[in-house]
This record gives sequence, structure tokens and C-alpha cells, in this order.
Amino acid sequence: MIRATKRIDVAQAASDLRSRTLAEIPRSLDRLIYLASMRDYNTGLYYHDGLASRFTQEVACEALADCHREAFGQLVNCSLRELVNQMEGYIDSTHTSPRDFVAAWKKLEPYRVAVPVETDPLTAQLLFSSFKIALAILEARLLSAPLPPTA
Amino acid sequence: MISLIFFLFIGMLLFSSLFMLARRNARPEGSSTALIEARQALRTLQAGLLPEELVNRVFADQDWDYVRSEAPRSVHELFLNERKGLALLWLAQVNKQIRSLERFHRGAARHYAQLNPRVEVELALSFFALTSACKALQVLVYVAGPYAAPRMVGVVANAASRACKISEQSLSFLDPVRLGTLSGQPTL
Repeated sequence: MIRATKRIDVAQAASDLRSRTLAEIPRSLDRLIYLASMRDYNTGLYYHDGLASRFTQEVACEALADCHREAFGQLVNCSLRELVNQMEGYIDSTHTSPRDFVAAWKKLEPYRVAVPVETDPLTAQLLFSSFKIALAILEARLLSAPLPPTA
Repeated sequence: MISLIFFLFIGMLLFSSLFMLARRNARPEGSSTALIEARQALRTLQAGLLPEELVNRVFADQDWDYVRSEAPRSVHELFLNERKGLALLWLAQVNKQIRSLERFHRGAARHYAQLNPRVEVELALSFFALTSACKALQVLVYVAGPYAAPRMVGVVANAASRACKISEQSLSFLDPVRLGTLSGQPTL
């Protein structure tokens, strides 16, 4: 009974998170990165003060984990074309130079820490591989494009 | 001296054979560990490896069309290598989990009277056909790349799903809910 009540709370918290915060983040790549940033690297627990104040810390944590898995699933099911488009949109939103962005992502592979816990290795590998190819496509486009004029 | 070496050699041979036999029988067939492993293998196959979306993504030819039309040759090579690695990983994992299920059924068939011999024979044949198809596909993908045999990928995925379903039905009498009614009784 207690477990069922908690599950309902988690579903409500997740719905709240989707309608308030995630609705303003249209791309699943951005949502994945945002939700991964809500997770403490040391404990694997998610924190969101607003959600925790409306529900409980435990419920907020599970709701964030659910939404994280959902965003991950959506991104894994994207075609390569869609992933490249999402990455271009994401680069634009960060206001960094695309060349610097691609170089940093190729070197640091930050997407590796954005995977939800208990993701099966093959699915994680599929996404990492797609990121690698998408970065190579973006890099090739940047190399063939003329350099922007320097100030 | 020569006979001493000979007998020492025979002794070592016997000792290592005994050691190997002892290791092989360390875990009794039909044990709860074997059952947990079989359930884990079923779950991994059904939820992790065989969902249609995942198989379609790993072997998606629309991605290959996109790379061919939008990217230079160096990216083509990277793409094919990456997808080949993924395809081989998928096949190796499917093969591994099917073997794990097969091992369990081989052991379980001797321990559980509730199992239907006809279904177990059907499963044994399915497992054999599946592992052979996996091996053949692995060779094909390794030699000719991830898009060498798209129809065979579908056949393997469907056959594995079917084998999982039969295995699940065959082991349904081991359902924890039903076992709950037998609390206090040994599960074997």
C-alpha cells in the first residue's frame, strides 16, 4: 500500500517536472544533459529543491531519475540525422564557438557521464557511438565551411 | 627414473582431471542461482537486447544513407566500423544470454517434473538453431559489415523472441507468486 502511494507521488512529481521545467527544454539532448546535471556524482542521487519542497526528497529523486531515463530513451531512438540536428541546436544554445565545442566534446566525451544508472551496456554504447559519429559529421562540416572573420 | 617421471605425469594428469570435474560440478544444476541466472538472461533478452527499436537502431540503414549523403569518406569508414562493433556486440550478447538459458533448461529438464518434454525438445532445437544463426551472422558481419544480411538479423531477433516466450511459458510454474503458496516447501 505504502509502495503504491509512493509510486503515485513519483508519477505526480514527474508530471509536475515535465509540465513546469522540462516543457521549456524542447530537445531531448538538452533534457538529458540538464537531468544528468541534477545528479550528484558521488551518490548517484538526484536533487531538485523546488520539487523536493512540493513532494519529498526521495520522491523528487525518483521522479528525476524517471525523467532522465525517458530523455535517454528518446535520444537513443533518434536517427543520426536527428541527433546531428539536436547537437547543432545545443551548440547554438551554449553560445560557444562550434569548433571549440566539437574539440572539447571529442576530447572529454562528456556524454559518457550523462547516462542513467542501470542502462544496459549495449544501449549506452549505441548512444556513445552515435555521438562520436555525429561529432565527426559536425567537424567535417566545420572544416569545409569558411572560417568566421576575426575581430 | 623414467618410470618415476611417467607415474608422476600420470598422477598430475589424474589430479588435474579431478580438479576440472570438481570445478564443473561446483554449482548444482537446478539450484536457485541457476534459476536466477536464467531469469536474468530472459529479462536481458526481452527488455535489453530484443526490443524492435533497439535492433532497428543498431542496424538502421537510414543512418548509413544519411552518412553517405552528408559526410566525407573518412566519416563513412568511422560509421561502418562503429556500427560493425555494435552489431558484433549485440550478436555476442544475444548468443551469451541464449546459451545461459539453454544451460538452465538442460539442467532443469532433469530436475523439474512439471516441464513438458516435447516443449523442452522444441526449445533445445530452437537454441541450437539460434546459436548457429548467431555464429553465422557474426562471421557475415565481421567479413562484410553491419548491413550484410538485414533479413537474417530480423530472423535471429524474431527467433530469439519466440524462444524467450516458450522458455518463459515453460518456466511459469516457477513464478514467485505461485511459489509463495508453497512456502515452507523446498523449491526443487
